Amino acid sequence: MKNRPNLIAKGALRSALLATCFALAAPAVAQDTTLNVAQRQDPQNLDPIDTFRLSWGSIGSNVFDGLVFRGEDLELQPGLATGWEFLDDETRIRFTLREGVEFHNGEPFNAEAVKYTFDRLLGEEGEKGPQRSNYTSIGEVVVVDEFTVDFMMERPDPVLITKLAGYGAMIVPPMYIQEVGEEAFDMQPVGTGPFRVVEYTPTVGVTLEKFDNYWNGEAQVDEVNIRFISEDATRMAELLSGGVDIALNIPTPSVETIQNHPDVDLVAVDGPTVVLTRFNTANGITADPRVRQAISMAVDRVTIVEALLGGLASPISSAQGAKSFGNDPELEAYPFDPEAAKALLAEAGVVPGTEITLDMPNNDETFREVAQVISAFLGQVGLNVNIRTHERGVYFNDIIENGKTGEIFYYGWGGWTFDFDNTAYILYHTGERFNPYVSDEKLDELLDAQRQTYDRDVREGALQEVARYAHEQALDLPLYNTATIYGVNTSVEGFVPAPDDRARYMNVTLD
Amino acid sequence: MTEATQNPTASRFQRFRKSRFAKFEFVAGVTLTCVLTLLVVFSGVLFPGGGSEVNLLARLSEPFQSWENPLGTDPLGRDILARIVHGGRISLTVGLLSALGSVVLGTVIGLYAGYYRGILDSFVMRFADVQLALPFILLAITVIAIVGPGIDRIIILMIVSQWVQYARLVRGSVLSLREREFVQAAVSYGLPNWKIIFSHILPNAMGPLIILLTLNVANNILLESSLTFLGLGADPQTPSWGGMLSEGRSYIQTAWWITVFPGIAIMLTVLGLNLLGDWLRDELDPLSKTR
Repeated sequence: MKNRPNLIAKGALRSALLATCFALAAPAVAQDTTLNVAQRQDPQNLDPIDTFRLSWGSIGSNVFDGLVFRGEDLELQPGLATGWEFLDDETRIRFTLREGVEFHNGEPFNAEAVKYTFDRLLGEEGEKGPQRSNYTSIGEVVVVDEFTVDFMMERPDPVLITKLAGYGAMIVPPMYIQEVGEEAFDMQPVGTGPFRVVEYTPTVGVTLEKFDNYWNGEAQVDEVNIRFISEDATRMAELLSGGVDIALNIPTPSVETIQNHPDVDLVAVDGPTVVLTRFNTANGITADPRVRQAISMAVDRVTIVEALLGGLASPISSAQGAKSFGNDPELEAYPFDPEAAKALLAEAGVVPGTEITLDMPNNDETFREVAQVISAFLGQVGLNVNIRTHERGVYFNDIIENGKTGEIFYYGWGGWTFDFDNTAYILYHTGERFNPYVSDEKLDELLDAQRQTYDRDVREGALQEVARYAHEQALDLPLYNTATIYGVNTSVEGFVPAPDDRARYMNVTLD
Repeated sequence: MTEATQNPTASRFQRFRKSRFAKFEFVAGVTLTCVLTLLVVFSGVLFPGGGSEVNLLARLSEPFQSWENPLGTDPLGRDILARIVHGGRISLTVGLLSALGSVVLGTVIGLYAGYYRGILDSFVMRFADVQLALPFILLAITVIAIVGPGIDRIIILMIVSQWVQYARLVRGSVLSLREREFVQAAVSYGLPNWKIIFSHILPNAMGPLIILLTLNVANNILLESSLTFLGLGADPQTPSWGGMLSEGRSYIQTAWWITVFPGIAIMLTVLGLNLLGDWLRDELDPLSKTR
């Protein structure tokens, strides 16, 4: 807080200086181009190891690079490493690093930086954040020479290469962090990416500026101004009025408005985010698998997707989309069959008119409609649903984490790795933070086993088994896989929608 | 009070104008309030479904196109008119119950504090000052974050934060009334305190109380709408005016009827109650008698 006025003053001084320069030197030169972006959430911390929010991805992907690069096509490509090979029976991975790369502060990128990044992530500092647990398969990073490092693996990690392309594995500058300290780095991080952070004001936004010495080309706009607008209607109003050029996290109810607007285009791409209703499998009537199956049969997902979500989602049969590794196309969801549902409920001794509760966060306009439709479907088989809404933070950190939900509760998850491991582990493994109810030896075993091998077929088999088992037990009611939807002003060119919400603005130009 | 010093002719003219307007206020206020009350009372008979039948095939139907959905349908295909009529239940219940609750609580405390004075009086009134300084929305958000949302909680919250204004009003009246001759006379006759309070003081303090009550009902209806709009009030599937406004926000450019009609309902209700309150004020003010 203390140095904020200072930053503002600096910013003001800089713009004043810039303005003078332009006025004096070149009145004919085009003005600085600024791309205005609005997204729903503030990641609250820009340090890659301190967050797991998608909202960090749409900022951090412009500021940092990982050893591996995964762009909008989801293919893994060389990033800061030009190549890698598995050695010693897959217990050692050797990365050859790119030469001539520098951080925003001029610090060189080399093996030391890689080692520092992972020592920090796996050490004391990383322990404070949520990212460390994704990378504990790495035992140690050993510097071989200035541009070669070896990852000594503690245990196999089939998803590691993918995970090196995002979030916690972003390479950070050792000298800069040691100089300014961890807390300053949270607010003013430095990476090797195409944009550098000028100023981050929590809850308001972040300003990025083009980094001239980027190793992989040059950003087309001079500045990106990302604002956090949590209110859906306000974000839409900004988009439609031209206040922002690109808006992320478009709520489904606004889709039609955007489609009808002459100056704004709707850009949608299949995303990783799945929406499901989970069951309280420990207490109440949903502790009985028959009741859970009955509820699964009473809800017509296809109608929800088609009528309510405008086709911008697809029905799913497990907690993953079609692009996810571990998805079994053969697995069929419970058919919509209210009569069979009623019969099952009667068999389980549930009398018509039984009251159940559905919990959800209060700021999700799309799901608020979906929840009411679910309630209507369940009403037809004799279950009266009360919908309880909670503030989003309270919902995840208290209601779910401490197991205070009603019989049914909302859950949305977007595993950016597109690997079912990420989602399934969180949903079904005993003792996970967001899994207050499910504890099943068979699931624990399957989930742990597939983390031990690089064999894709074995892993795929295990993950499909997990999905099948969860389906049989009806541990949750998988609803749909949402498209990632962006609203883009027609003056914007070159924006490629990122399925995983990790929007990148480097190649965007403005008319 | 100023009337005595005014030109009697002008005053008569003003009174005449005033009486005409008062009549209009009365007729309009009573009509609006009665129509709405009747609709709400018979909502179950008029729309037995409760306005919550989902019909995704008929979602976002435009208004004035069919007799089935005269005011159109919302994103889930529910009839807007049925939801408005049923939503009125919530609005009027909250408005009336919260105002009645606070009037009873506030009056009892006000009577007691004003009549007996003493430590209790100063304590209650200082407490009231603190209470008045608390922003209601902030209080509501905090309390609801702890106990969870619900209409019953909203009503209790409103009573807790609004009894103060009644208590202050009543206490003020009592302070002056207890010095008046007829009260002093009653005291000298040896009437018990409770009898003096209820048969001599309270009836004379009723006027301003009733006016405040009507305005308060209108105000609380608006407040309930804002709280539900913020997601702090009724369950999302229970029709309520504030909830309908909130749901329609994202559709305002493509389906205006979702927000406009509940908005009109709120406006008419509040207008009706305010007109009634204005009329009552003129009627009950002994100095502005038009007859």
